[in-house]
This record gives sequence, C-alpha cells and structure tokens, in this order.
Amino acid sequence: MKKLVKSNKPTRLAFAERMVEYGEINQDFVVFEADIGYSTNSYLFDNQYPERYFQMGIAEFGMMASAAGMAANGRPVVVAGYGVFLTMRALESVRSFICYPNLNVKLMSSHGGTTAAIDGVTHQASEDMALMTSLPNMHVFAPCDSASSRALFDVTMETQGPVYCRLMRDSYYELYDESATFKCGGSNVLCEGDDLTIVSYGDILFQAIEAAEELRASGVSVEVVDAYSVKPLDWDTIGKSIAKTGRVIVAEGHQQRNGMAYEIACRMAKQGLSAKFDHLGLKDTFAESGAYPLLLDKYGLSAKHIIDVASEMLLEQELAV
Amino acid sequence: MPKTAETRMSAQALGELANNIRLDILDMVYKAQSGHIGGSFSAAEIVTTLYFAEMRNLDPQNPRLPHRDRFVLSKGHACPVWYACLSRLGFFDAEHLDSLRKINSILQGHPDMKSTPGIDITTGSLGHGCASATGMALEGKAAKDQRRVYTVLGDGEINEGVVWETAMAAAKYELDNLVFFIDKNNLQMDGTSDEIMPLLSIEDKFRSFGWHVLTIDGHDIEQILCALDLARLTKGKPTCIVANTTKGKGVSFMEDVRNWHGKAPSTEEYQAARAELVA
Repeated sequence: MKKLVKSNKPTRLAFAERMVEYGEINQDFVVFEADIGYSTNSYLFDNQYPERYFQMGIAEFGMMASAAGMAANGRPVVVAGYGVFLTMRALESVRSFICYPNLNVKLMSSHGGTTAAIDGVTHQASEDMALMTSLPNMHVFAPCDSASSRALFDVTMETQGPVYCRLMRDSYYELYDESATFKCGGSNVLCEGDDLTIVSYGDILFQAIEAAEELRASGVSVEVVDAYSVKPLDWDTIGKSIAKTGRVIVAEGHQQRNGMAYEIACRMAKQGLSAKFDHLGLKDTFAESGAYPLLLDKYGLSAKHIIDVASEMLLEQELAV
Repeated sequence: MPKTAETRMSAQALGELANNIRLDILDMVYKAQSGHIGGSFSAAEIVTTLYFAEMRNLDPQNPRLPHRDRFVLSKGHACPVWYACLSRLGFFDAEHLDSLRKINSILQGHPDMKSTPGIDITTGSLGHGCASATGMALEGKAAKDQRRVYTVLGDGEINEGVVWETAMAAAKYELDNLVFFIDKNNLQMDGTSDEIMPLLSIEDKFRSFGWHVLTIDGHDIEQILCALDLARLTKGKPTCIVANTTKGKGVSFMEDVRNWHGKAPSTEEYQAARAELVA
C-alpha cells in the first residue's frame, strides 16, 4: 500500500483550487455561494472570475432553487456550502427542482460526516449520504485527499446531471498522486488481500488504512477498497472482493443506517453472496462537539474499532473451524 | 412585574458586567482555540441587559420554571455570550467555560438545549431560532402565560427566508410577547452586509410586515432598556429592535474586521485583547 503523507490541505481547498483552474477549461459554469466562501474556499473562484460568481447570501434554499433556474437555462452551476445546509435545509429544492429535471447542478459540500467536529451537531453532515443517494439522478462522490479532490472535480463536471461531492473541513493525509484515476462508478483497490475486505471513503478511509496496516502486520491479509464513487457504487469490484475474502467491514463517517453499508448488504443478499458482514458508523445517534480524533474514539469510528470488529470476525471463523 | 428603575441594575453596572462578559468570551474562545468572538462581542450589551435587567422568573436552580421568560440566541454561533451570562447567573459552574467545544462538554459549539442548563432551544443553523422563539411566544399565548420571549438575530441571518415567514406569522398572531433584536453589525463571514445581500432598511421591512419597530445603539444600555420598556407597552404587535452594533466591539483590532467572525486569538492577540478590555 502506498505510504500516507501528512496533509495540510483540506479536500475543500483542493477541490476549490481545481475549480478555479477548470474555470478556464469550461467557461460556461458559474458558482453560487451562501456567505461561507472563505470556508468552502469558493472565494478563490470569485477572485478569478467575479462575473461568474454569485453571492446569494445566507439563504441556502433559495440559492438552490435559483441554481436550478440557472441550470435549466443550460448553464452548469457549482453550489458551495456545508453538507447539512445543502442536503437538509435545501433538500426539497435539490430533490424536486434539480434531481427530478436532472439538471447540471453540482453540490460542493464541505464539513462532511463528523469532520466539522468542534462546531457540533448542527454543522456535522452525518445523514447527507443517505439523503443524497436516495435521490434519483443524483451522483455522490467522496474524495479523501488533494489528488482525488482535484480529479473528482473534473469527474463532477464531466458527469451529466446533479452531483453531490462530499468534502471535509480539515486535512488528514495525502494518499494518491496525480497519476491515480477516478471515474463515475469507480473505486480503487488500495491493497489486495484474501482474508478481509474493508470498504470505506473520505476521512474514515484513513482509519481503514491504519487498521489494515496493523492487521497485515499481524498476518491478516486485508484488501482495502476506496469506494469514492458512493453512487453509483462500483459493485463489480466490491462484490468480487467480498466473494474472494468472505469477510467485509464497511466503515463510514455517517449514520450506520442507510449508509453505503446498507447498499452493500442489500446487494450481497440479492446476489446470494454469503460473507461475514459488519459496519461502522454513527449508531443511530448524533455526535457532539469535540476534537476529531476524540469523536472517532467515542463514537466507534477509529482504526481501533475497525480492528476490534475484524478480530471478532476472524476469531468467529476460527472457532467455527 | 417587570423590574423598575429602582430595582434594576444601573446602566453603568450593566455596562461593566457586559465588559466582564466579553472577558469571559475571550477566555473561552482562546482556551477552545475555536469559536466566534466578533458576533459575541457585538451582542454583549443586549444579552447582558436581557438577562440581568429584563427577564423575569429565571431560577438557575430550576431552569425549566414554567413561567420564566425565554431567551433564544437565533444567531447561535455567538453562544459564548450566552454561556457567559448563564454561568454568571449560576445556571452552571464557571469551570465549564473552559470546556467550550470540547468532547463531553455541556457547552457545545452551537447551543444545545439537551446539554446546557438554561438553554431552552437548540440553535446554530441560522433562521430557525427566531421561528422557534415565535413558537414559544405562541405557546405562551395559548397557555395564557405572561411570559415574554426575546431573541437575538444577526443581520446576516435575516438573509434566510424563514425569518420572513416567521415575521408574517408573528404579526398575524399579534405576538406582543415577542421581541426580536437584530444585532446589526453590518459584517458577515464573506464581507459586509451590503456586499453579501443588501438589507436596505430593516426597519421598513419589519414595519411593512406589521411589526412595532425601534432603532437603537446596541451598545448603549440606556437605549436597550428604554426599547425593552417600549416593547412591553406595545400591544397587539411583536417588536423588532434594530440594534446598531460593531462586530468585535471592545477590542480595537477586532472591531469591524471580517476575519474575527470565527477566528481564535493567538497568545499575543489574546493578551492584547485582554489588556484592552481590562483597561
């Protein structure tokens, strides 16, 4: 597995930087902001293309419906904001006026999962994936680092129809280099293994990698899949991996309910794919304010929790033998 | 009965208290290395005056006393000012202020009614708080209770459509037990209010929605007290008090500076700010 390098660039910044570069490649699209441009970093686009930047005020619902109007006239819109406000406050607008008519509105959404940590529950988007993946026509991506954010910005723009791209408040690690490839409906197998598949995305992917490294050191052959395309999901790759290893753990910075794990379990059941299954996420609870690593510890999302689940799974199998 | 001029704290004493509240806010955000100083400072006199001179039936030992007046900080990110007032009133021990935004704390990054004694409604997503306050005022009328409901909104916050939905409902139901303060500091996260979304006359807007409207200097305690008296005398209409304020008020290098919306001070900045506030 590629070695992780500590990052000082949050995905929200890498995504915005690529958006500014892309402004030259695609001269049609515009950006809508709701007065957190210095946080989403959309202000960088304003600096470069003020005539293509619309400051709509602290008014997410109206902003989203206006984006629909702009896109209905053929001009793609990137709407910047925090996950909770874009996916929850403006939900009906996203559903009925962007997804239903299948418009080119791209949600550039920061503070995904519990990465808003210290800001508390009102700013933590821990149900966003459930909501966005439920909407017909919506695509959902979740980069984990700078290179994947840059690449997935391009994929976002090249994908026809609405896209929800989940970004993070803070920086964690750099995993990919510029040569890595990303596509709508794709995933990346970060390391191959025979005993256990761990599927994750975004910030929690780094917990999965840390857990995998520790498990590998103790002789467990772990396969880690970065399922950055949450919808459509790369079931071909994930399903084959689970069929090979016979054990799968899905780890996500999201409510357990209706997250990616639910789709994987559903597909396994439908296909009659029998394997040990478990999943990590918020256990039907809201988190709280606190430093990010402490939240992961308290709410069962850390590498240690993945290792515990894996150990139990592997032990069960041994006992069965 | 409302506190009379004789029983109230003097305006001067309230002003000094508001300054100490600012020191609490500064300490809190410095220790947390996160939080919103600018908007907490701009609302310091308003929230201090409400809690220490206006609101009735508050009992820190019994924070859910049925007839208590209610306060809702609709601009929830300014919660350090709320926490400081509640702590000084004895709703919880001052040592909790050091735990702002930390794990297991009763003081969440944005106000949480389940965590903090004295907080009646969760806020932090702009616009919702004033609508919840309206619900509390409606409930007060339904219960034939004399309670009054006070809320503080940011001027940026009134960009949100829900504020205007609420403004119509509160006027429709003649909620003369409801007071909105608009903390008009003219500064939002991305720029001035005029740059982000020109508000034009907030007074004209609320007046046309059927509200009793007053304009004051939001750092002048006498004016705040006077406006609250006038609000109480007004029947059949909710009152909107447009309070002209300065974001970051009290610390020269924080005043009117956009960047101090949500920035934690460095040690040097902290010491300089503290020196100005104690001077």
